[in-house]
Amino acid sequence: MTVAVLRLAGVTKTFRAPRGGGDVVALSGVDLDVREGEFLTVVGPSGCGKSTMLSLVAGFAQPTAGEVLFQGQPVLEPGPERGVMFQDYALFPWRTVMGNIEFGPYALGVGKAERRGRARELIQLVGLEGFEDRYPHELSGGMRQRCALARMLANNPTMWLMDEPLAAVDLQTRIILQDELLRLWGDGGSAKRSTVLFVTHGIDEAVLLADRVVVMARRPGRIKAIVDVNLPRPRAAQRSSPALAELVGRVWDLIRDEAVRAIAEETN
Amino acid sequence: MSPALRIGLPLGALVVILIAWETAVRATGTAGLVPSPVNVARAGVALIADGTATRALAGSLQRVLIGFCVAAVIGVPIGLAIGTAPTLDRIFRPVLDAMRSVAPIAWIPMAILWLGVRGDAALFVVAYAAVFPFILNASDAARRVDGSLLAAARSLGAGRALTFGAVITPSALPFLFTGARIAMGFAWGSIIAAELAIGIKVTGQSRAVAGLGQLMVETLYVRRDVDALVFYMLMIGAVSFLIDFGMRRAQIRLMPWTLR
Repeated sequence: MTVAVLRLAGVTKTFRAPRGGGDVVALSGVDLDVREGEFLTVVGPSGCGKSTMLSLVAGFAQPTAGEVLFQGQPVLEPGPERGVMFQDYALFPWRTVMGNIEFGPYALGVGKAERRGRARELIQLVGLEGFEDRYPHELSGGMRQRCALARMLANNPTMWLMDEPLAAVDLQTRIILQDELLRLWGDGGSAKRSTVLFVTHGIDEAVLLADRVVVMARRPGRIKAIVDVNLPRPRAAQRSSPALAELVGRVWDLIRDEAVRAIAEETN
Repeated sequence: MSPALRIGLPLGALVVILIAWETAVRATGTAGLVPSPVNVARAGVALIADGTATRALAGSLQRVLIGFCVAAVIGVPIGLAIGTAPTLDRIFRPVLDAMRSVAPIAWIPMAILWLGVRGDAALFVVAYAAVFPFILNASDAARRVDGSLLAAARSLGAGRALTFGAVITPSALPFLFTGARIAMGFAWGSIIAAELAIGIKVTGQSRAVAGLGQLMVETLYVRRDVDALVFYMLMIGAVSFLIDFGMRRAQIRLMPWTLR
């Protein structure tokens, strides 16, 4: 019944350190199965390789050892079925909101009328009506995120890869965007949900959104634990539930020592 | 400071300087030997009225534009190539740096030897001066393309051609434009120098091909007109300012996203 749409098997990624400081092991022996339609969040202290993992799944880099399989096929390059939302949004500054959202369908050869229609639908879905002709630098942080989200969705990806997409906005905006993201994903009980891999710094956010939370450790980057979140959906109603608070506490316990050490090393 | 004062004070200072200058020339009776504001203005009106100045300006501008375009056509592809391929950069960078170190003016004797004293030698010097800003800025532009934009394009399904056309090119354009502005400055500066160096032989009969530099040489040795010389200097400065101003306006028009 539950098929692993994404499988990481023994995935290791090392980087050559600058100026010959030896190799840095960003990820070491990561095994992970992601089920179809699952919302998976990844948390961990900085340097735990969570962004590296995402870029391997996206196909921007290749593992040094092990395999990344998407729908049973090794991931060799980026593809439109795996949509990416970047930490810095990576919106094209020379394209308007409409132009950015249209880019994916345009790249795939979708005709003008059809991609326009699709883009308009998405603009409405993410609440950017009236801003179609604005350039990214004319938008607020929250609006840029909505635009990046719509751009990711424009190709109808079956997998959403999101790298700390809500990190750079204020708290209120983040809460609103979390709710909208859940709504778009089908939190209310949609028949066909996309599979989501969502990297974040925020433990609250990770627990609130996820079916499962992957907790990572560092040096080398690896999976420390996977926490099931068996809270009812829609989650927007669970924000202040004690069960959620308890799970947040559990995840925090898992990464506290590492996070403290990471901060100590960064400040040294 | 109020807007009126902000414009009025420097303008007032200029007027005071000009009046003092004019008075000094008149008091010492050195008009004709030393330029004076009134005589410069008079010379300018006459030279524009009889077409001497405008013809020379057109000649110089024409060579600048051709040299600039030649430099762009040669420099931009070379720059983009070495900017995207580190190997090419390592191979050709020393050669380019060595060539760039030779002042364009130093090429004038060779240019005259190869191309003669007509417009072509000056054209060569202009193109030579302008090609390096294009190469350097284009290579810089290619190197500075935001990696996450390239990643975004790829993950959205863009192939090589679309990535080049829709991501690398627009992201390089502002740098290329800066390169073009610097190149234009170099081109305009070196055309005058080249024409000054070449000029004396072309003056006299064949003024049709002469530019401002040649006209200045003739004015110096044949006419001995200091007021006209100063007028040409002002003209050179004004043209250079107008070109740069125009290019900046064009950049704002063509690339609204660079306005931050």
